[in-house]
Amino acid sequence: MPRLTRIVLVLFVLALGFGFAQTVIGVSIPAATHGWTGGVNWWAAETKARLEAAYPTLQIVISTAGSASEQANDLEDLIAIHQIDALVILPFESDPLTEPVASVKDRGVFVTVVDRGLAREGIEDVHVAGNNPALGRVSGEYISERLGGEGNIVVLRGIPTVIDNERVEAFMEVIDQTNIEVLDMRYANWNRDDGFEVMQDFLTRFPEIDAVWAQDDDIAIGVIEALEQAGRTDEMFVVGGAGMKEMILRVMEGDELVPVNVLYPPAMIATAMEITALNFVTSVPVLGRYILDSPLITPENAADYYFPDSPF
Amino acid sequence: MARSEAAPAPTWRRHMRSIPWQSLTPLLGLVFLLIIGSLLHPAFLTPTNLLNVLTRSAFIGIIAVGGTFVIIAGGIDLSVGSMAAFLAGAMILVMNALARNDLEPLTIILLGVGMVLVAGLLAGAANGLAITRGRIEAFIVTLGTLGIFRSLVTYLADGGTISLDFAIRGVYRPVYFGSFLGIPYPVWVFAAVAIIGAIVLHRTRFGRYVRAIGSNQEVARYASVRVERIRTLTFVIQGVCVAIAVILYVPRLGSASGSTGILWELEAIAAVIIGGTALKGGSGHIWGTVVGAIMLSFIGNVLNLTTAISEYLNGAVQGLIIIGAVFLQRGRSGR
Amino acid sequence: MTRTEPDSLASRSGLAPVLVGRGLSMAFGPVEVLHAVDIDVVPGEVHAVLGENGAGKSTLLKLVGGYHTPTAGEIVLDGEPVHFRDSTAAEAAGIVMIHQELSLVPDLTVEENVFLGHERHRFGFVDYRSQQRSTRELLATLRTRVDVTRRVRQLSVSQAQMVEIAKAVSRDVRILCMDEPTDVLTGTETEVLFDLVRHLTDDGVAVLYVSHKLDEIKTIADRVTILRDGDKVGTFQVGDLTPTDMARRMVGRDLADMYPAKQPVPEGAEPVLELDDVTVPGHAEGVSFALRKGEVLGLAGLVGAGRTELFEGVIGLRPASGRVRKDGARVHWRHPEDAKHAGVAYLTEDRKGKGLLLRSGLRENLTLQALERFARPFTDIRKERAALHRAVEEFDVRVARLDVPAGALSGGNQQKLVLAKLMLTTPDVVILDEPTRGIDVGTKRQIYFYVAELIAKGTSVVLISSELPELLGLAHRIVVMQDGRVKGIVEGDDMNEETIMAYATGLRHDPPSVPARAEVRRGAV
Repeated sequence: MPRLTRIVLVLFVLALGFGFAQTVIGVSIPAATHGWTGGVNWWAAETKARLEAAYPTLQIVISTAGSASEQANDLEDLIAIHQIDALVILPFESDPLTEPVASVKDRGVFVTVVDRGLAREGIEDVHVAGNNPALGRVSGEYISERLGGEGNIVVLRGIPTVIDNERVEAFMEVIDQTNIEVLDMRYANWNRDDGFEVMQDFLTRFPEIDAVWAQDDDIAIGVIEALEQAGRTDEMFVVGGAGMKEMILRVMEGDELVPVNVLYPPAMIATAMEITALNFVTSVPVLGRYILDSPLITPENAADYYFPDSPF
Repeated sequence: MARSEAAPAPTWRRHMRSIPWQSLTPLLGLVFLLIIGSLLHPAFLTPTNLLNVLTRSAFIGIIAVGGTFVIIAGGIDLSVGSMAAFLAGAMILVMNALARNDLEPLTIILLGVGMVLVAGLLAGAANGLAITRGRIEAFIVTLGTLGIFRSLVTYLADGGTISLDFAIRGVYRPVYFGSFLGIPYPVWVFAAVAIIGAIVLHRTRFGRYVRAIGSNQEVARYASVRVERIRTLTFVIQGVCVAIAVILYVPRLGSASGSTGILWELEAIAAVIIGGTALKGGSGHIWGTVVGAIMLSFIGNVLNLTTAISEYLNGAVQGLIIIGAVFLQRGRSGR
Repeated sequence: MTRTEPDSLASRSGLAPVLVGRGLSMAFGPVEVLHAVDIDVVPGEVHAVLGENGAGKSTLLKLVGGYHTPTAGEIVLDGEPVHFRDSTAAEAAGIVMIHQELSLVPDLTVEENVFLGHERHRFGFVDYRSQQRSTRELLATLRTRVDVTRRVRQLSVSQAQMVEIAKAVSRDVRILCMDEPTDVLTGTETEVLFDLVRHLTDDGVAVLYVSHKLDEIKTIADRVTILRDGDKVGTFQVGDLTPTDMARRMVGRDLADMYPAKQPVPEGAEPVLELDDVTVPGHAEGVSFALRKGEVLGLAGLVGAGRTELFEGVIGLRPASGRVRKDGARVHWRHPEDAKHAGVAYLTEDRKGKGLLLRSGLRENLTLQALERFARPFTDIRKERAALHRAVEEFDVRVARLDVPAGALSGGNQQKLVLAKLMLTTPDVVILDEPTRGIDVGTKRQIYFYVAELIAKGTSVVLISSELPELLGLAHRIVVMQDGRVKGIVEGDDMNEETIMAYATGLRHDPPSVPARAEVRRGAV
């Protein structure tokens, strides 16, 4: 009996010590329902492996959610079960997740927000953001420059959300200052099949199109398929966005139909995880706001953005 | 004299009355849409546009033919969209693996097609057996498999997209984009599936049993019909139909991902119901389903061809047309 | 035929009719099922409507109850012509109907059903306590003991019928319409119902009572209107007619011989279907008996004795254990299809729920069980149609058009259709479960003679019935069951109501050790 007690005690102390030695970082991201989020998932797993190997005191827990409310539940589990010291979150939607993240922060957890910001300022310690307006602006600038300020274009939008609106507004700001006419805009839901069907109908409707802004690479793939079917690939070019590896490859190979791409890297989750880890393993200052650019990817620089192992 | 003049009218009227008007309403809805479409845009009635839309409707249409069997027998299958995504992903992976073995592209495609048909059959059988043997409601079983197939394809794709080997794509591509006598292959396949489906449903013992089970399972059982076997078979047919749709779908974009086939199940069910099949089972026709599927595709097409309706309201217009089509039908047959 | 009782009765009682129907006609599509029928009912009277199935009794009642609108004629209530939009409007005027088919909601409780649509409220909420109290009181007057908080689904058919009656009389009723209310009731329950009816008539309620049971009408009714094929034969004082008179007027001919003459089972007839220690869990226990070739074997017992479930177990509709032999060979039927291939057919007692696809056509219903004969591999609709024409002829299915749904047939004609469907499988053993339930005398007689025909052709029949006269009139021997067990097998001089009832109620039983085969060898008629 005394011996048993002693063993239990030793185990308990060991477990406690082990627990204290560890820093637990929780990573909450949307489930891989389309290409871009698939990339986010891949980069998260990749970075987890690298960080844990590099820093043995770090433990990283990744949880994926199918909806905003599911993500809010995940936060509770990360706190209650994994007792996280830091949270890296790519919020599904800004508004519904603001309060749940705030309450995580209130418990003294270090919070890093990725991509879309929260609805209230001052909650997060670190914000790593993509630049949605820049994606729209860069795309618009390329198209207007390439067309020499005039011509007909069509636009395929994503899913009606803040992200889509920011991109399209910035894009239109550029286009409105030119003589380029936007023939029509339709939602293609960041989906290949919808991109294909919407583009088919655009081709039926408009005899002359000079350029297509597909905004996203999944949509762009559907668009390209529709162009090939109609045999109108020589008539126009397609600008996608996000940096899907297949599209980067086409840019690298100098494809006339896909001359450029605009980056919106899913790897931003990796950036955020690295910065968060630094806060715990070093004493370098990390607090603040990091905005990743949406650079134009051209045949010249495409090789820098090509990650053949990533699913995206 | 007045009588002799009046005589032809009743015959004519009797003739009119013998036309099954209420089963024609899906067709009337389609004609209505075609008229609207041609008024909206001159390019609407061009062969290219019409064939585009018909070809698009083939996926949902073929799946809905299978769905007609399931629904008439009193079941429901919510898993078809996920199943399509899963089968497409599995088919591409198998063909890519075979491509590494120095096989002829044509052989690879044939093997892929054979594999996907078998897989569709098995997936349908799994649904059917869980429902009949496991005695679980079809709604629950297929809601479960909806999630299972969807996450399986995401898993196979590592969260990304599964893309078909380029060497195979070149050979396979014409299956979607090619045509025979000016009609694209998917339309031919859709027609063939619909005709075979109609014959099986309306002219065979199996089809009669399906309808009997849907109207009253107990009566069928007491009349020594193998109720469970027939119900399972309806799900097998559904699985095979999904597989056929996948065979046509893969060459279109040469890829599959977690977002492939999202909400196809609802579109397929809508096509079946617009076509005049009762959601509670017992009665229905294949040709109504065909019209329903084509109609759904035309709604999307008409909306894409006009700027008259804000793109924000697409869903609302779609919903109204679907409800309207079914209302017309019920309104007439209710009397 | 055109006697004018209304006047004589009205003058005798000094009361004017509360309701008069004049020249009521009703057509469904092109088919007229009721031709200009006059009827009236006086407060405090029970006015019976008598006729074969399909004669238009139910239709007449539904016109009065507001379920249909007559195509011609008018309904006069308290001297004023009325047009009921629906049954709710008729109910508001005090005309309440008790249906032939139960109209209770299975998943609501007894009390909720009784007050459905007439809920009592208290502070904006349903006052369940008051409703329950009233329901309990109502059922007490019907001497029905059921827990008012049970779901109707859990009640027996006869209990449900009593609830239905309670529901009807809970309304402010001036004219109560009852459509064959006693079909599913036991003798005692029928007595209770009659007491209630007398009670109501004493209070001045007028009762329209549809039935095809002559003795009931003799007991309860004051006047009777007889219908035949949608025509009114006449209205009579019940006291003026004997049951035989009524039957003759109803059928239009004499019914002297209800049952065909019984032919003896041939000497040394082989057993065709033997049950040996058959158990259907929860329903029948260790049942053994044998059916011989060319025999009608009756199966008597009270409701719940397990007769139906026993045979459902034998043909594979429910799990069963024990030994079954067909033509001397051991069989084990897991599915009704196995039994079908072995030449055994079972006619369900639940014609509407398990026998017919009510919304489907006659043809589809007829060929469902033997569809393999019409599909090689494609269904041969022409051949099916020919079969339907033959069946309609052979079984005398009376229907104006062949393209109506099966649900449009009257009960008797539905039963003939189910029987025809069964016989298409060319069985040599037929199990008839309550084959004459809810059908009229004329059709009953036709079915009895059909059974005799079957026997003459060498088919063997098991007849499960709750009507003793029917069993005594047709069966060569009668197996009596009680509580899932065989209590005795009567034949010869023992075949009388007293003996059977003694077995059926458990007052008497034979030692259960008699093995089926031995008994068959010994037994003879």
